[in-house]
Amino acid sequence: MKLLQKLVRNATTRKKALLIVSGLLIAAGWAANFFGALPRLFDVLMLLATLTAGFEIARRAWQGLRNRHTNIELLVAIAATGGIFIGVFWEAAAVTFLFLLGGWLEARTMSKTRNTLKELINMAPETAIVIDGGERKEIPARQVQEGMRVLVKPGSKIPVDGLVESGTTSIDESAITGEPIPTEKQTGSEVYAGTINKNGRIFVKATKAGADTTLAKIIRRVEEAQEEKAPTQRFIERFARWYTPGIVGLSIVSYLFTWDLELALTLLVIGCPGALVISTPISVITGIGNAAKKGILIKGGEYLENAGKVTAIALDKTGTLTEGKPGVIEIIYFSRAIAVAGGGQEEFPAVHTVSLSDRNNESLPLEGEELLYWASIAESASEHPLAEAIITEAEKSGQIPEPDEFESYTGQGIEAVLGDDHIYVGKAEFLKQKRISISENINKEIRSLTNKGRTVVLVARNNKLLGAIGIADQMRPDAPKMISKLRENGIERIAMLTGDARPTAEAIAEETGITEVHAGILPEDKNDIIIEMQQQGYQVTMIGDGINDAPALATADIGIAMGAAGTDVAIETADIALMANDLMKIPEALRLSKKTLRNIHQNVVIALITVTALLAGVMAGSVHMAGGMLIHELSVMAVILNGMRLRWG
Amino acid sequence: MTTTKTILRSDELSCPSCVNNIESNLNQTEGVSNAKVHFNTGRIEVEHDPDRASEEKLIEVVRHSGYEAQISPF
Repeated sequence: MKLLQKLVRNATTRKKALLIVSGLLIAAGWAANFFGALPRLFDVLMLLATLTAGFEIARRAWQGLRNRHTNIELLVAIAATGGIFIGVFWEAAAVTFLFLLGGWLEARTMSKTRNTLKELINMAPETAIVIDGGERKEIPARQVQEGMRVLVKPGSKIPVDGLVESGTTSIDESAITGEPIPTEKQTGSEVYAGTINKNGRIFVKATKAGADTTLAKIIRRVEEAQEEKAPTQRFIERFARWYTPGIVGLSIVSYLFTWDLELALTLLVIGCPGALVISTPISVITGIGNAAKKGILIKGGEYLENAGKVTAIALDKTGTLTEGKPGVIEIIYFSRAIAVAGGGQEEFPAVHTVSLSDRNNESLPLEGEELLYWASIAESASEHPLAEAIITEAEKSGQIPEPDEFESYTGQGIEAVLGDDHIYVGKAEFLKQKRISISENINKEIRSLTNKGRTVVLVARNNKLLGAIGIADQMRPDAPKMISKLRENGIERIAMLTGDARPTAEAIAEETGITEVHAGILPEDKNDIIIEMQQQGYQVTMIGDGINDAPALATADIGIAMGAAGTDVAIETADIALMANDLMKIPEALRLSKKTLRNIHQNVVIALITVTALLAGVMAGSVHMAGGMLIHELSVMAVILNGMRLRWG
Repeated sequence: MTTTKTILRSDELSCPSCVNNIESNLNQTEGVSNAKVHFNTGRIEVEHDPDRASEEKLIEVVRHSGYEAQISPF
C-alpha cells in the first residue's frame, strides 16, 4: 500500500500509470465491441478510460483556474466533459488519452533537447584531490579554495580552473573550446575545470572553483541564452495569451449559431496552440545547445535570429585574421652558384626569397636553414619580440647552441661570437657600420619586403652577408578558407578594419582574399564604418578579439568575440563568443544561426498550416474530436522533431 | 528572515502553461518570496526562507503541480 502511495505521489509514475490504464481500458472497450458484447460495456469502458486519463488533465485545469490561467488542459477538460454529456464516449476517451500521451512524448523529447546543458553540467567532476601539507584529501570540487594544490591523475577530469604547477601533459579542452585536438600543457599553463587530462600526472594551483570556473560561466551563459526569448517566441506567447480565450469564444459563438455541441467541443480540442507555442523555443534551445557543444556561445534567441540575417562582416586584423604576434614570413638567401667567367671561377650569388607560409609541408633550402641557424644563435641571448619569432622558427629544425659572447646595440642589432664565428643580426645601417657590404640586388629584395609591411632583419657571418629575414604578424592559416566560406554562405560585403599601416594591411588582405581595407584607423573610426555599413542597409557582424574592439562589437548588429576561453569580458559582452581562436567557427556560427532561423520559420509554418487545415476541416464537418486531437498532437511532435534536427546540424 | 536562492530543475515542462502552474503554486507557498520558472531550460529559481520553506517543501510543491524536480548543482 505504501509503495502504491509512493508511486501515486511521484508525478512521473502517476502520469505513466494513468496513461497505461486508460490505454488498456480503451483496448478492452474495442475488444468488447469486436466480440459483440453488450453495447453498454463499450461505453462504460470508454467512460472509465476518460475518467482515468482525464483525472490528471482536470487536476491541471483546476490548478490553472485557481491561479487564474486559462490553459490548454481546461479546453481539453471542457471538451471531454461535454463529450460525455452528449454521449460520444469514444471521442472523449480518445481525446483525453491522446492528450496525455502527447504531453508525455513532448516532455520526453523536450528533455532530450535540454541534454546539451546536462552534458555540460556533467563535464565538471564532483570531487578534487587536494594536497594539504603533503597529505592527499578528496573534497567536493566546489569547496576547493584559491591557491590550493590539486593533483590531477592521467585520464581524469580537471576539477578547477588553475595553473599547472608541475608536470607536463596533453589536455582535451573540447568541453570548453570545442577543439577535438588535445593541447600540450606544462608548468605555468592555464587549465580549465571540465577538461580532460590525457596522459601526464599534473599538480594544479587552483585559481577558481565551483560556480566561478569558466565551465560554470559557460553553462550559466548557455542557460541564460536559452531562457532569453527570441522575438518570434515573445510575439507568439503574446498571441497565445489571447488565443486560448479566443478559441473558447469562437466555440461558444459556433454553438449559438449551429446548436451543434459536438462541433463546438471539437473546436476547443483543435484550437490548442501547442505546436505554435513550442515552435520557436524548441529550435532556439537546440540551436544554442548544439553551438555550445562546438565552442560557440550565442547570447540568446534574439542574437541567433539576428545572426541568421547577416549580410556584411567587418573584421579586425591583428589577433583575428593574424596570430597577433610576430613570426618569420620570408627568408632571403644567396645560392652559391659558381659561374665561369673569362676562364676563371667566380662565385655568383643569386638572391632567392622563400615564403614560409607552407613551411609545415616542405623543408627549407639548406641555405635558408643555415641563415636561420646563425641568426637564432645570436638572438638566443636577446629578449626582443623579433628574436622570439626567429628562435621559434629555427627551433623547428633542432637545438640552438648558446653564443660564447653577446652584445646588443639598442635599436640597431646584435653581435655574437660562437667559437671562431662572428655573427651580426640587425638593420642594414648596423651591418654597414660593421663593414659588411650589401649588394644592390639584395637591397631591392629588402625594399620589396618592406613595402609589403615586413620588418627586415639582415644576417651576416664572419663579414659576409648570408641574407635577410622578413618578419611580420602572421596570417592565420585558416583565414583565406574562412573568407571564401563566408562568401559561399551569402555574405555580400567583407571589410578589414585595422589600425596598422596600409602596406601591412593590404598584404594580409591580398593573402586572405579581402577586397575592402580600412587601414590606419582608430577604434572610433571602426564604429563609424560599421554605422555607415548599417546605413547602407547591411546587417553587420563585427569580429574582434573582445576587449579593444568593444565599441565596434557593441555597435554592430552582432558582435563576435574570438578566443573567449578564460576572458570573462568577452563571454559577458559579446553577442557570440568563440571559445577557441579557431577562425572556421565564424562561418560555422553564422551557418548554425541561419539554419536555426530557417527551422523556426518551418515550425511556425507547420503549426499554422495544421491549425488552419483543422479549423477548415471542423467547419466542413470532416474532422471530429478524436481525429482532431490526433492531428493536433502529431503536429506538436512534428515541430519538436523538426527542432531536434538542429542537434546534428 | 534569511532568504536563500535555490535552483531546481525539472525535465518535464512541455508547455508554457506548466510554467504558470508551477510558478503560481510556488509563489503562493509560505516562506517563498519569489519563484521564477524558465520553460526553455526547465530551470526553477526560488528565493525562499529555508526555515519556513525547505528545499524538500519546494520539490513537494512542484510535485503537487504535477511535475518532478531535482536540486541543481549550478
